[in-house]
Amino acid sequence: MSEFQWRLRGRCYRLGHDVPHAGGVIPNWVITGRHFDAQEIIPHLFSETDPGFAGRCKPGDIIVTGRNFGMGPKMNGYIAMQALGLGLVCESMPFLAYRAAIGCGLRVMTDCVAATEMCESGDELEVDFRDGFFINHTRSITREYPPIPDSLRDIVELGGNTGWLKRWWAEQQGATAKQS
Amino acid sequence: MGLTAVEKALAAKSGKASVRPGEVVHPDPDFIMIHDGVVMGAKRELDALGITRLAAPEKVVMVTDHDVIYGSARAAERGAFNRRAAAQWGVKHFFDVGRGGHGHIFPMETGMLLPGMFYFDNDRHATNAGAIGAFGFRMGAEISRVLATGTNWVMTPRSVKLTIKGRLKPGVYARDLGFHIASLLKRGALRLNLDYRVLEYAGELDQFDLAARAALCNSPTEMRAYGVYFPPSEAILKQARARAQRPFTPIFPDPVAHYDSEAEIEVSRLEPQIALPGGVENSVDISEVAGTPIDHAFIGSCGSGMYEDMFEAARVLKGRSIASGVRLFIAPGSEQSMRQLAADGVIQIFLEAGAVMLPAGCGPCNDAVIGPVHSGEASISTAANNNFGRFGAKDAKLYLGSPATVAVSAVAGRITDPRSMRASDIGAKGREAA
Repeated sequence: MSEFQWRLRGRCYRLGHDVPHAGGVIPNWVITGRHFDAQEIIPHLFSETDPGFAGRCKPGDIIVTGRNFGMGPKMNGYIAMQALGLGLVCESMPFLAYRAAIGCGLRVMTDCVAATEMCESGDELEVDFRDGFFINHTRSITREYPPIPDSLRDIVELGGNTGWLKRWWAEQQGATAKQS
Repeated sequence: MGLTAVEKALAAKSGKASVRPGEVVHPDPDFIMIHDGVVMGAKRELDALGITRLAAPEKVVMVTDHDVIYGSARAAERGAFNRRAAAQWGVKHFFDVGRGGHGHIFPMETGMLLPGMFYFDNDRHATNAGAIGAFGFRMGAEISRVLATGTNWVMTPRSVKLTIKGRLKPGVYARDLGFHIASLLKRGALRLNLDYRVLEYAGELDQFDLAARAALCNSPTEMRAYGVYFPPSEAILKQARARAQRPFTPIFPDPVAHYDSEAEIEVSRLEPQIALPGGVENSVDISEVAGTPIDHAFIGSCGSGMYEDMFEAARVLKGRSIASGVRLFIAPGSEQSMRQLAADGVIQIFLEAGAVMLPAGCGPCNDAVIGPVHSGEASISTAANNNFGRFGAKDAKLYLGSPATVAVSAVAGRITDPRSMRASDIGAKGREAA
């Protein structure tokens, strides 16, 4: 797993404060319709506020948001972000939103004070989610934010909760096989 | 430095002397709850991975409360799937149809959930545990990891403290106060940030019984609190000891605990509140909307589903009839209180008034599987929230009020101040027992 890319470099996509999950990140019908397939969800990421976003973004791009991003406990939008290879940097996130993002294996950092003041959309950013470094190459700004906690990294590395469970079960089976 | 209530609970369940906000722990829960709506997803996820045994089936509590009586063939199929899942997993604590009630009510009423406990739940209204001085944390779809491994990660939240000053006037209830607190938070009038934080109540709390405490856990949950906590009073502890299915050790915050922020609220002048459609935080004094005609009414949910809530509604419904053109649904929170309500004549009062009894559980407040509203209708209820489309048509107007306000409004056919109708004395036997 050493090849996992903790450091992303790409363009900034900046959003403001209080962007709700339903409507702000992903249309509500995706949530209520219980759509969890990444390829199905991807075309609808930010589609109500910025049609065509999914076609324009590239792996490594970093979404930077203000306070209270992703209000709601739902995970659909993070599934799309993870599958697109995006990163997420928030000034704050309700815990259910953070939990959902980690559970989807998204590279995400929260409690990044004044992050939206450090960048504009289109800036070239470099963010290391393992050590918390945030670099805006366009504006020559460097900040150090709280990274993904050590104990949650394996969930992100393994692509989320299901991937983590898959490895855990394989380890359990291996341990049982050794004993017998 | 001292510890807040949640820090103490997480430290105790993680085998640590203390924990700090931001610290990730893997607590050993007292139990693990999963409701009927998500068993299928979790089972299929685990089956696909080949995980067919649970870490601690004896700790797993399966609850049928979201879709209790199957309004569709799909729901019946789900019920059958859940029964097979319980059998395959070896889950003994399976509170299926007619056996338990609302998962965030009956464990407190039956002594399963006790002060000082900690548990994992798939559902966010697990925060109700704070009413009894315990913690329940939502896992969502990650409940699968808890089922498989027995635990999951928890990032220790910060805590904020809200001190209650004064006493509520007669006719004003804890649910009114909950709506009001949400409104103050929305307007920035209470300088508390609940995001990823636990709200601890303090101050004049003896005025609140278990039902009132559950009501006061509800609105902060809708305002994104991680958890809510009441220090159990002597009355709450006495009630818990009488019901307890096993020994328990209550937790209390240290007097010198550190809070992220603290605020006070004076409640003695509060009027009955109505949460206007769109969210619990849209709360106004009832005088602003009194007279609004209604078509639909509902009493129940995790916010107002305990025996005492039903009792207060019955006091104003006794000897009265629900207005023509209004339908009133009542869903008690547990089978146990349903039996007590029947024994005490409370259900008779409801039926004579023209109300429709629903099985113990969530009632309409779950995706409208039962008793929904139609397009253009107006509803007043005690549902957990009144977000657009919560229980039926998106353009229906969903108002929220206390159980007494909903009952009085159902009688009048329009939103009505509960203080305008005299409440009857219907005896306190069952109330004391509850």
